[in-house]
Amino acid sequence: MSTERVLFAFVIVLALTLNVGFVAGDIADIAHHNVYELFAALAVSLIATVMKFGDRSALGSTMLATSLVADLQLIAAAAAWGFYGQGDAVLTAHHGATVVSLAIGAAVANVVSVVLLLIETTNLRR
Amino acid sequence: MTVAAPRARHGIFILLRRLRVPLAVLIVVYAVAVAGFTLIPGIDAQGRPWAMSFLQAFYFVSFLGTTIGLGEIPHPFSDTQRLWATATIYGSVVAWLYSISALFSVLQDPSFRRIMHESRVERAVRRLQEPFYLVCGYDDAGIRVTRELAEDGTSVVIVDVESARVDAVEVEDLPAVVPALQGDTSDPKTLVLAGLTNDLCAGVLALTGQDSTNTKIVLTARLLNPAVPVLCAAREHAAHARMAAAGATHIINPYDTFAERVALSIRTPSLHVIYESLTTQRGTAMNEPQGLPHGRWVLCGFGLFTRALRRQLTRLQIETFVIDVELDDTCDEKNSLQGDPTDPAVLRGADLESASAIVAGTAVDIDNLAITLAARALNKRLYIVARQTQRRNGSIFRASPANLVMLSGYIVAAEVLRVIRAPQLTTFLRRARDEEEAWAAALLQRMRNVIGAEIVESWSIELTPDRAPTACVAIDRPQEDVTLQRLMTRADGSGELVQAVPLLLHRGQERLLLPATDVPLQIGDRILCCGSARARVVMRGNLSAHALPILASHEQARATRT
Repeated sequence: MSTERVLFAFVIVLALTLNVGFVAGDIADIAHHNVYELFAALAVSLIATVMKFGDRSALGSTMLATSLVADLQLIAAAAAWGFYGQGDAVLTAHHGATVVSLAIGAAVANVVSVVLLLIETTNLRR
Repeated sequence: MTVAAPRARHGIFILLRRLRVPLAVLIVVYAVAVAGFTLIPGIDAQGRPWAMSFLQAFYFVSFLGTTIGLGEIPHPFSDTQRLWATATIYGSVVAWLYSISALFSVLQDPSFRRIMHESRVERAVRRLQEPFYLVCGYDDAGIRVTRELAEDGTSVVIVDVESARVDAVEVEDLPAVVPALQGDTSDPKTLVLAGLTNDLCAGVLALTGQDSTNTKIVLTARLLNPAVPVLCAAREHAAHARMAAAGATHIINPYDTFAERVALSIRTPSLHVIYESLTTQRGTAMNEPQGLPHGRWVLCGFGLFTRALRRQLTRLQIETFVIDVELDDTCDEKNSLQGDPTDPAVLRGADLESASAIVAGTAVDIDNLAITLAARALNKRLYIVARQTQRRNGSIFRASPANLVMLSGYIVAAEVLRVIRAPQLTTFLRRARDEEEAWAAALLQRMRNVIGAEIVESWSIELTPDRAPTACVAIDRPQEDVTLQRLMTRADGSGELVQAVPLLLHRGQERLLLPATDVPLQIGDRILCCGSARARVVMRGNLSAHALPILASHEQARATRT
């Protein structure tokens, strides 16, 4: 058990949980989705990416790639929200669905990332 | 190449890995600052409360960290917002300074720079499109070989252990881009990185100053790329056997080479002129023989160099006389004097008045120069040979009274270039060495008659179906006689012969010195010729031209034989 491994797994799982937490709810109703949760998901996802730079395992490059995908999707979701919400406008159903669906894509990438993490951990045990 | 590629290509990932913590700090600082601005309420001009959106907060923090402010937007801040902005300024500036200093420390890091250097060289080697020579050791010999090969248009890759020498490659102003790798030449990984296992590697030149390193290079090359020829420089005779066992294609000993050349010059002066004209870059056949003296030779210093010289001189039954502090049991009162040769009193004791040549052959340049000056003062007609060990002393050696200067790096370089440029020349010179002076004088006269004052070049022609299609088709036709004379005829219809002299004919295991021009040729023959540059172009052209020249010369050739 090492602090570094714990921190690594923590950040990756946190990125997933925040992301899933944000997308949970009615896709068309923006009231079900919290902007701070999206922001936290994006920040944690970026940190997860940076931490994966150092991972030298065989799965390291795939993990880095999934993380980059998640970043891209979340940045797109945040940018879409910022664009649609200019001047304190309330997001329409279509706009809200766009933001949330982008975040759902990121959630898929984060799921893959966690699965890879689990695979790596089980391989390590052997 | 496959061994080292992953390591070298990872430079950017190593950079990112080292910057993990600074980047994470930067993200956290930004995230906290942005979140803070979206939460802290402000009061706008109309007195209504407001809070920044994420977009506004991110925009504000972005310029805050880098420029400290374009003003408070979109509305003037409340005091709470100003407090948070102050905290953010300090936090983000510190985070940026930390990140940037971390970036620079990684960029300055020796191991990171080494990886970047290696990957840069590796990329440059991979990008080479033509066969290249791998030069190990960029010292006297390496510098000269590299320059001349580059001027020939041949690609070269350099490896040297000293970074100062590798840096010198860029300063040298070479006519082509020469990848230079700084690395331990005795490390196989370094050699592989420099392209040893590359398909285009045409040869490895082990020219480091150390016999053990050279032997290891030979061994590495032989094991990792058995097809590649390896040329190797050696100092000690004991190393020759090890290098040969390791698989060196050619072993070049500068002392032996120089001593053999001195012997050649004494025994067959004309052959020495031929040799010089064939091996130097702008040599002609018009030089006069050097005329080294046949009298007593005084050898100062008793190291590898003077020993090699003594062996050759003794073989020619020339009397030698050795002066050094330490002598071995082959020396006695009659042929040696114990003492420091740099001491003029000792030199006087060697009876220089009756000697005809002196060799300043110690390992120290300044000593050798002192000997040349002292010897000239004692005997005005003495032939003086001086050994130079450092290239930078060239100007003082040229100004010294020495008639002949021996710089081992240059001798090695000349040998390497000869082997690379005209491999058959080595065979010719080895065979010609056994001939007498009269034979050599006749050949020299013939070269002068045919080539005149033109620069002498040497080249090989191979009668193989792909190199010489026209000639091979003609040989297969029963009614045609293909002789050297026909290949040497001008294609312009004048029927005149080009300015070339055939030196050697290789046919299977047979080696024919100075083949007659009317000998019928066979497929597979290899012929070494010397002559003017134009003659080479014409002869090469004849081999693959539309048809062989069939003019007067053909009829004459038939007539002379019947």
